[in-house]
Amino acid sequence: MKVSVKFWSYFADLTGCKEAEIELSDYTTLGQAHTIVLEQFPKLAGAKNSTLKAVGLEYEDDDFVLSDGDEVSFFPPVQGG
Amino acid sequence: MKTELTISTAAINEAALAKRREMGKGMGAVIYFSGVVREIEGNAPITAIDYEAHEEMARHQFALIFDAVEKSWPVESVRLVHRLGVVPVNEPSLWVEVTAPHRAEAFDACQFLIDEMKQKVPIWKKPLPA
Repeated sequence: MKVSVKFWSYFADLTGCKEAEIELSDYTTLGQAHTIVLEQFPKLAGAKNSTLKAVGLEYEDDDFVLSDGDEVSFFPPVQGG
Repeated sequence: MKTELTISTAAINEAALAKRREMGKGMGAVIYFSGVVREIEGNAPITAIDYEAHEEMARHQFALIFDAVEKSWPVESVRLVHRLGVVPVNEPSLWVEVTAPHRAEAFDACQFLIDEMKQKVPIWKKPLPA
């Protein structure tokens, strides 16, 4: 299955792109997808523990099971205000 | 509870927002908060902050926070404006207004709303050095 991955804030600077498409096995979890993304974009590894993850418009945990066509967002802690 | 959310690159016009205020006759408290860009970020002088948002998710997360406010306090209305793009020093990036029957719930709801925003709403800032 394919999911799109979006990088926000300085994560886009670290990866050099705002969006990527990754191919995953069925039933891949969000945590597993994060590991795969870190292999493709190693500059994000330093922020691994503080990375926030969303699927669509909702925050999800690492054990969330992804589906084909999901839009995953990775970003640093938010700073509104 | 009435809500009004504006996420925009336009400058925040506090006078115009205040002029449009509507309060029911049972409301005894209106408070508003402006978050203003400081001239120092960290330890370095800056000229402005450039704000970026995952706007669709930000709107959704604000809606969830507004729902939580409504469940917790007898608030009549919330209006919130967050500016995006380059916001110069001394100008507001955030404006929040809460109306409620009494000041305690208005202050508590406003504080909660801003605290939650700073945890959950996907908006980021990039300070622009002086």
